[in-house]
Amino acid sequence: MQAKLGDNDTLGIYLHVPFCATTCDFCAFHQEAPSRPELDAYLRAMEAELCLTAPVGRVETVFFGGGTPGLLGVGDFEKIFAALQRHTDFHPVEVTVEFAPSTVKADKARALRELGVTRASLGVQSFDEKLLEALGRRQSARQARQAYDVLRAAGFENINIDLMFAYPGQTAEAWTRDLDEAVALAPEHLSTYCLTFEEDTALWVKLTEGGLRRDIAAEADLYQLAWEHLPAAGYAQYEVSNFARPGFACVHNLNTWRMGRWRGVGPSAASQDAGWRFANPADTPKWREAVLAAEAPLASPPPWAVDCVPLSPDLLARDALAFGLRLNNGVSLDELRARWPEADETLSETERFLADLVEEGYATLCDGRYGLTVEGRLRVDAIGAELVG
Amino acid sequence: MAGTDHIRNFCIIAHVDHGKTTLSDRLLEQTRTVQQREMKEQLLDSMDLERERGITIKSHPVSMLLNHEGKDYLLNLIDTPGHVDFSYEVSRSLAACEGALLLIDAAQGIEAQTVANANLAMGQSLAIIPVINKIDLPGAHPEIIENQIEEVLALPREEAIRASGKSGIGITDILDAIVHRLPPPRWADYPQTRVLVFDAVYDAYRGVICYIRVFSGSLKPGDEIVFMGTGKRTTVKEIGRFSPQMLPEESLSAGRTGYLVTAIKELSEVKIGDTVTHTAEPAKEPLPGYKEVRPMVFSGIYPLDTNDYGKLKAGMAKLQMNDAALTYQAESSAALGFGFRAGFLGLLHMEIVQERLRREYDLDIISTYPSVVYRVTTSDGEVKNIDNPLFLPDPGETEKIEEPTIRATIHTPNTSIGDILALVSEKRGFCDHTETVDAERVMLVCTLPLNEILIDFNDRLKSITKGYGSMDYELGDYQEGDLVRLDILVNSEPVDAFASIVHRTKAESRGRALCERLKEILPQQLFKVAIQASVGAKVVARETLSALRKDVTAKCYGGDITRKRKLLEKQKEGKKRMKQIGKVAIPQDAFVQVLKTSGS
Ligand SMILES: Nc1nc2c(ncn2[C@@H]2O[C@H](COP(=O)(O)OP(=O)(O)OP(=O)(O)O)[C@@H](O)[C@H]2O)c(=O)[nH]1
Ligand SMILES: C[S@@+](CC[C@H](N)C(=O)[O-])C[C@H]1O[C@@H](n2cnc3c(N)ncnc32)[C@H](O)[C@@H]1O
Ligand code: SF4
Ligand SMILES: [Mg+2]
Repeated sequence: MQAKLGDNDTLGIYLHVPFCATTCDFCAFHQEAPSRPELDAYLRAMEAELCLTAPVGRVETVFFGGGTPGLLGVGDFEKIFAALQRHTDFHPVEVTVEFAPSTVKADKARALRELGVTRASLGVQSFDEKLLEALGRRQSARQARQAYDVLRAAGFENINIDLMFAYPGQTAEAWTRDLDEAVALAPEHLSTYCLTFEEDTALWVKLTEGGLRRDIAAEADLYQLAWEHLPAAGYAQYEVSNFARPGFACVHNLNTWRMGRWRGVGPSAASQDAGWRFANPADTPKWREAVLAAEAPLASPPPWAVDCVPLSPDLLARDALAFGLRLNNGVSLDELRARWPEADETLSETERFLADLVEEGYATLCDGRYGLTVEGRLRVDAIGAELVG
Repeated sequence: MAGTDHIRNFCIIAHVDHGKTTLSDRLLEQTRTVQQREMKEQLLDSMDLERERGITIKSHPVSMLLNHEGKDYLLNLIDTPGHVDFSYEVSRSLAACEGALLLIDAAQGIEAQTVANANLAMGQSLAIIPVINKIDLPGAHPEIIENQIEEVLALPREEAIRASGKSGIGITDILDAIVHRLPPPRWADYPQTRVLVFDAVYDAYRGVICYIRVFSGSLKPGDEIVFMGTGKRTTVKEIGRFSPQMLPEESLSAGRTGYLVTAIKELSEVKIGDTVTHTAEPAKEPLPGYKEVRPMVFSGIYPLDTNDYGKLKAGMAKLQMNDAALTYQAESSAALGFGFRAGFLGLLHMEIVQERLRREYDLDIISTYPSVVYRVTTSDGEVKNIDNPLFLPDPGETEKIEEPTIRATIHTPNTSIGDILALVSEKRGFCDHTETVDAERVMLVCTLPLNEILIDFNDRLKSITKGYGSMDYELGDYQEGDLVRLDILVNSEPVDAFASIVHRTKAESRGRALCERLKEILPQQLFKVAIQASVGAKVVARETLSALRKDVTAKCYGGDITRKRKLLEKQKEGKKRMKQIGKVAIPQDAFVQVLKTSGS
C-alpha cells in the first residue's frame, strides 16, 4: 500500500505522548513520569489542539511516538481516535504506536488493533542483559520477547523492533548476536540506532566525565555490519537506520524524509504544514496551557509555536535533497524540480557538489537518481551540511 | 621656581620576569601612593593583556611622595617591560630619568636583557642601583650574583641591595638609596622650557596624551607650545601627574614627570622623543632624542570574513594610535582577499597585536607566515625590498637575494655551550666570540639570519638551557643567501598565507614540518586532503589527511527535521568560520598554530 507521497492533499499526523515509567540513560526525548490527573489534562489538551488546528487534507498516516504511547489506556486512545475522526479527514493507511516492552498487555494490544492501529513499534534495544543494564534500560530480554509474542497474538501484522548498538566496547560478535535474535523473531521492520550521546542525558554526563570513550571507527564498523547483515537476512535497507521486508517501509517516516506535509500534536511535536515548519514547546504544562487558552480560528503557525521557519521552495528542495540522501532509493533532481520548479537554480547549484560525491565514490548516479554508497552513507551528515544552505 | 633637589626620576629595568612590576607594588605601598584596599598584585600592569600574560608591555609612570628623614621627596618611577621586543620602551623611559634600579633575579642571575638594559642606562649616563631581587627564593644565591655584578656589569658589589618584592625585604633600603644615591634632575637650569615626550597614547575623549618629563622651565594649561622636531604648534589643555591614574595639576615644573593633553587628535602628529618648548620663548636646541624603532618582522593580517575588511581597517588604525611601533599597509591575497601587511618589533609584538585585534575589536583574523625584509637585486639591476614571500621575483629574474642578520648576545650556562653552538649553526649562524661571565656562565656573541630566529629560536634556547639561557639582539648587516620560496598546497591549491622564504637547504625539512603540522591541525574533512610543500614545481614534502571516517546521525525521525536541520546548519556555520581553500576548510587558528611548528 502506498500513500500519495509528496501530494499536497495528504499529510501525516504525529502524536507525542510525553510519559515514561522510567527514564533510560541515553534518552533525550521529551517525557516525564505519568500520573492520572496529568494524563487527563494532557488528553484534554490533545483534543483541543486537534480541534483548533484541524489540518486541511487527507490524513494517511498516524504515528504515536514518545515517550511511551503504550502507557496510555485503551480509553485514552479511543478519545484521541475520536478527536482525529471528528477534526480531520481521517483515512489512515498506517497507524503506528510505539511500545516499551513493559507496556505491552494482551487485551490492550487487541483493543488497539481493533481501534485501527496497524503497526506496532517495540523498543527492544538489545537482547543482551548487560547492554540493557549499561543503557539504563529497566527491562529484560525475556520481557521483550514476550511483548513481541503478545503483539503478534493480538493480530499485528506489521511489527517493528528498535535495536541500539555501539555502546562503547560493544563487539561485532555481540552486535551480530542481537541482530540474529531480532531476525529470529521475524518482525516486518527493524530500526537499528547507533547510540547517540544526547546532551544532558546520563550517558552523556558519563562520557564527558571520561567514564566512557567513543570509538568512531568501531561505530562505523558496526554500522556497516548491520548494513550487510540485515539485507542478507531478507530485510532491505531503505534508510540509514531502517530495514524492512518488501512493502513494510514506514510510510509515515518516508513522508517526512521526502519533505511531505505533517502535523505534530502534543508537547515537543514538530509540524511542517500550512507554510511553516515549527515545533510545539517541549514543556507539557506550557504547551497545555497555551493550547487550552487559544481560540479558533488559529493563524499558522499557532501562537505557542517555537522554532518557526517559513517554508519556501528552496528550503524544501534543499532538505528533500539532504534528507532524501538518507534513503537508499536516493533522490532525483528532476523529481525535485517537478515538485518545486522555483528551486531549479538552487538545485542546479548542488550538481557540482553531487558530482564530486560521485567522483569520490560517495555516491552513484543511476537513471537520474543520486544515491549514496556505503562510504557516502557513513558521512551523510557532512554531506547534508553542504546541502542545507 | 621651586627647587628640584627633592625630586628623583628613575626607571626600574631588568630582564623579563625579574620582578620589576612586583617591586613597584611594594614602593607604591610603602609610599602610600595607593590605598591598601585598592592594592592588587602587579598593579601597574593595567592592560588586560598584561594582566593575563603576567608581563609588562608598555612603560608605566607613577609619581610617589615620600617623607624621608624629615624631608618631603617626589619620586617619579617608570616601570618598564623586560621583553626584548619592547626594549624601545626602555630606552624612551631611560631618557626621562636620572637613575635606574637594575633588578637581577637572585636565582636566575644576570641574563641578556640585564646586560642590554644596563648598557642602555649607562649609555645615557644614568646612575644605577643594582638590586638583587627575589632573595626569598630557595634557589637564591646573592653572593654569586654579586660576583656577576662586579664581573659582567663592572659595578661595585657593595652597591647591590638585597631585596624581595614579594616579601617586602629591602624596600626601605631601596627608597633610601633612591634619595641618596640618585642625582636630582639634570639640565634644570637651561634658560628656556624643554620638555621631553617619552611616550604618547590615544584616548577617545581627550585625543593624544603625551607622557612627558619637564627638564627645564614649566608648563601650564593655556601655554602656547611647539614640538621642536615636527614644528607642530598647539596649546596646553591639561597637565598633570600619574598617581597612577591621571591627576590634573596647575602646572608642572622642572624635574617633574607627568602627562600633557593638547588639541592634537592624531597620534601620528606626535613624534616620541620630541622636545616641547614655549612658542614665545623657544629653546635653541632640543633635548637628545632617540633613534626611531624599525619593524623587523612582517606578516599579513586578513579578516576571516572578507566583509570585515572595513572593520579591520578601522581596528588597525585605532591600534596604531596606541602603538606607534606598529606599521602597516594594504595588500591583497588570492586566498585571503583584502588585508594588510603589518610590521612588528618581534614575534611577541606580533602576537599581541593579533590578540588585541581579536579582543578589543572583536575581529576574526588570519595572519600569514611571518617574514623579514629581503633585499632582492633583479637581473636588470633593480633593488627591491620584499617583505611578502609572494612578491619574491622568479629565480630566473633574480640576480641575488640578501637577508637581514642580527647580532645576538646569548647568555648561557657553561654546560650548554655545545648545544647552543649546534643550535646556532643549525640556524645558519656563527659565533663571533665568547666572553666569560663568571665561573658558570658565558656570553656568546653570534651572527644569525633574522629569519631563522623568528619562530622558535628563543623557545629552543630556553629548553636547551632549562630556562637559564637568554638572548638579546640588534639588527646587523644584510648578507647574501641561497633563498627560495616554499609554497604550501592543499589539494594542489597554494595557500598563500603559508608561503615563506627559506634557505634552500632548509626547504625540505621546513616543508615536511609544515605539512606534518597542518595534518595535525586540520580537522578531517568530507574529502581526503593532500598537503604538499613545494619549491617551484618541485614537491619537497607531502602528507595526506584522510577523510573523516563517519559522520552520521542515527535517528532522524519525522518530527525531528527542524532540530536535525539546525544541527546541520550549525555544522555548516562552523565551516563558514573557517577559510575555504577549494574544498578544504581551514580553521582560523590553523594559521597561528602552524607558526608554532618546531623547526626541523
Ligand atoms: N619569589 C619571588 N617571586 C617574585 C618576586 N618578585 C616577583 N616575583 C614573581 O616573578 C614573576 C614576575 O614578576 P613581575 O613583577 O611581573 O616581573 P617583571 O620584571 O615586571 O616582568 P616583565 O615586566 O614582564 O618583564 C611573578 O610570578 C612574580 O610573582 C620576589 O621577590 N620573590
Ligand atoms: C522515542 S523512543 C520511543 C520508544 C519507547 N519509548 C521505547 O523506549 O521503547 C524510540 C527509539 O529511539 C531510540 N533512541 C532513543 N534515544 C536514543 C539515543 N540516544 N541513541 C540512539 N537511539 C535512541 C531507541 O531505540 C528507542 O526505542
Ligand atoms: S527510550 Fe523510550 S522508554 Fe526510555 S526514556 Fe526514552 S522514550 Fe522513555
Ligand atoms: Mg613588569
